[in-house]
Amino acid sequence: MRHSTADPHFLLRRLHSLLGLLPVGAFLIFHLWENSQSRFGAAHYNGEVVAFLQGMNYLPILEIVIIALPLLFHAGYGLVITTQMRAELTRYRYVRNWLYWLQRASGIGILVFLLLHVGMTRIEGIWRVSVREDLFGHMQHLLSQPWMFGLYLTGLLLSVFHLANGLSTMGIVWGLTTSADAQRRFGFVCAGFGLLLAAIGLHGMIGFLP
Amino acid sequence: MPANRTSIRFKIRRQDAPGSPPYWQEFAIPYAPDHNVISALMVVQNNPVTTDGQRVAPVVWDRNCMEEVCGSCAMLINGVPRPSCSALIDSLTQPIVLEPLPKFPVVRDLLVDRSRIDEGLRKVRAWIEIDGAWDTHEGAPRISPSEWSANYLYSRCMSCGCCLSACPQFGPHSDFIGPAALAQVRLMNAHPTGRYDQADRLHAIMGDGGVSDCGNAQNCVRVCPKSIPLTTAIGELGRQTTVQAVKDLFGG
Repeated sequence: MRHSTADPHFLLRRLHSLLGLLPVGAFLIFHLWENSQSRFGAAHYNGEVVAFLQGMNYLPILEIVIIALPLLFHAGYGLVITTQMRAELTRYRYVRNWLYWLQRASGIGILVFLLLHVGMTRIEGIWRVSVREDLFGHMQHLLSQPWMFGLYLTGLLLSVFHLANGLSTMGIVWGLTTSADAQRRFGFVCAGFGLLLAAIGLHGMIGFLP
Repeated sequence: MPANRTSIRFKIRRQDAPGSPPYWQEFAIPYAPDHNVISALMVVQNNPVTTDGQRVAPVVWDRNCMEEVCGSCAMLINGVPRPSCSALIDSLTQPIVLEPLPKFPVVRDLLVDRSRIDEGLRKVRAWIEIDGAWDTHEGAPRISPSEWSANYLYSRCMSCGCCLSACPQFGPHSDFIGPAALAQVRLMNAHPTGRYDQADRLHAIMGDGGVSDCGNAQNCVRVCPKSIPLTTAIGELGRQTTVQAVKDLFGG
């Protein structure tokens, strides 16, 4: 009988599960909290929040090791897992079945959103000094366009859902919640957590508006 | 209660051989109370004439016990996977649409090849080893009443395959063994003698097609005709495999 250490399947799945929470999910929480400070105005946001982050030592290494690589693995392996889905949403109209589908659909949606989002902020900022120096103004310009606000709102809600629902199924995968009651209770806790995160994120988005 | 009390109407998906194209035929039999899908199919079998008046080959399906313990008669009844013996005609909307159990290869008409269920059980060693180099029965196995009643729920599995056909991760496209075999791992690992092989069973479900392939859609627990807490078994196996992985990685 082969050990789980000899067969990478189990450990890869668990790594995928773990990385979704740490560091990717944790970064999402930090990111939404950080941007919720937009409501204190351009001077505070640019001068305190963004300047502190941009001034961190080893920033590119941290960005690559803590954010980019775990995110790329989670997304890439997630796409591989998604190919196994054969959802029948109309035949089985159960909430968990819809959440199962939505978890995979939102994953793909988030990937598209992140390519655009990272492209028009972090990547564009590499060669456009104005983006780097006045990120508040740049975000204000972007979010003032209703369709862009809609895109960001969609990206935010998909991400928050994916994290909250992922946390709820993580409880089953890792064996934290076993009984149906425990899974339901933890599901509500995760839903509450997701709503809170969505509120923080939306608060931050509105804070950028003129 | 069905509106039509004069006849029982069936719309059946038929298929002459594995791989041949499926087609639909309709049948009607005189109404009689207390029919289930199997007893009504037997009436159709006696006189296999479609509603168009065409005499056709009798419909083929699988059945045995007629009391929801053998699991052989599961099929898609009005779009829901369930055993046909316990599907009472008086509680079904007509015409009653019968299709072969999804995800399994069709042999003929409503008869499917369910051997993949057995393969799954073999893969996870869903049995208790009683022969060994030493006596494994040192006195009667001791088990608490609460443990026994939890285990009993899983012992009711009759390998009907309803959970597998409802599972969006299971099918010809994937090697996922599905919830039925996983629940038996949960059951056998809890047995006083069966627990000796716990690590082997866990390693079997930690490979390709094992418990990690579960997507937590939880349709299985909704369609299980024996109300087996399949998703609880999967959660408990999540915990057991977590502990097993720690042992594999760090020793112990």
